[in-house]
Amino acid sequence: MTNVMTDWDLAAITALLPIAAVMTILQKNPYHALVVRGILGAIAALVYALLGAADVALTEALVGTMLAITLYAVAVRSSLVLKLGIIAPVNLPEIELDNGASNGQQDAQQNSNPEDLVHPVSKSLEEIFNLIHSFEDPQELKPLLEDLRVFCDRHSLRLELHPVPDRQALDHAMETKEVHGVALVNGDSSAHPYSVTVRVERLYELMQTELNPAISTLSTTTIKPPPAEKPLVSDASSR
Amino acid sequence: MIDQLINIVSYGCIVVGLVFWLWGTWPLVGPRSVLYKLHTLSVADTLGSVAIVVGLLLKIPSEWPLLIMALIALAIWNTILGYVLAYCSTEEPND
Amino acid sequence: MNWILGPMLLILLIPIYESFQDEDIWQKMLAFASVSTKTSIMILVISVLRDDWMIGVVGVLVLSVGNASLMLLAQVLKRVNE
Repeated sequence: MTNVMTDWDLAAITALLPIAAVMTILQKNPYHALVVRGILGAIAALVYALLGAADVALTEALVGTMLAITLYAVAVRSSLVLKLGIIAPVNLPEIELDNGASNGQQDAQQNSNPEDLVHPVSKSLEEIFNLIHSFEDPQELKPLLEDLRVFCDRHSLRLELHPVPDRQALDHAMETKEVHGVALVNGDSSAHPYSVTVRVERLYELMQTELNPAISTLSTTTIKPPPAEKPLVSDASSR
Repeated sequence: MIDQLINIVSYGCIVVGLVFWLWGTWPLVGPRSVLYKLHTLSVADTLGSVAIVVGLLLKIPSEWPLLIMALIALAIWNTILGYVLAYCSTEEPND
Repeated sequence: MNWILGPMLLILLIPIYESFQDEDIWQKMLAFASVSTKTSIMILVISVLRDDWMIGVVGVLVLSVGNASLMLLAQVLKRVNE
């Protein structure tokens, strides 16, 4: 029973390896490429076992397939993201106002009591958490965000919104590189309803050709590190 | 006599396993839904593979610890994998 | 006994083709699951054919490790798609 493998079987199974490798290269979406990489790993383990290298096959299955794929999936998920800063009402004061408004009539005189001021906030901490995590698209930005989502899907990016209360915080987020770009609602007088500013050169190039020009104007800025970091440096020196 | 019978049964098991594989893998190419394909695939991969391993076991009993281990691994992990894939591939409406 | 590997190889080609042709990520995952199980069974068959214990152990390990990696990847992909 030993040594009965014909050359043809050997050649046919080994030929699967380059086929799977080419398939992996041809994938455009990084997640699809990961799955096909798993198939490549399984086939590679088969070929190595077929050729008698049991240790190599085991390593390929453990490291090449399991560890590499899982790590890459996490890496791709955390790096392929477009963080967009937008101006939106901050959740915290809104909830306080809501609670105050709903109980407004009967609590009008009790609101002078400091204990009651603390109470709604502590009760709504969980609600705040839920609200931040289930943050929905602001109504006035809907058309722009739809356009951006199409763009992000095409490049398998994840769109992450960073709501900030005002323009100043938006600029600050841009300077500290917390966000990759910001979206603003133009006034009614403007021809385009929205303006988008990104600080990543490559994003700008892609958006320039693919975003709908009727919806938004696009611009790019370069964040110069020295002026932005000056206060930080002086803080550090005083440390 | 007994040897021949075992031989026939083992070949029978292997062929049945291969037929299961083909039957369950073939719908994968079609345009059916993920859950339908998952169903046929888990039947094919689990039962077909079990049949093949049992065929091997009858044919070459000297490697029985390995093959029994393979049977257990197949039965447990393929079933759980079916559940996990079904759970992950269906979108939940809330949350 | 050597003839088993031929049909097995042909059946293995089906999920490989499927993984290339289908654009849905879960269909690709199904193809991956299929390939993973099939290759490990093929490794087992080879080990039995050659009466090689070492390869047999690798086959059993690949069988369970492949399933584990699939479950991990499925969970990560579910988080990504949320």
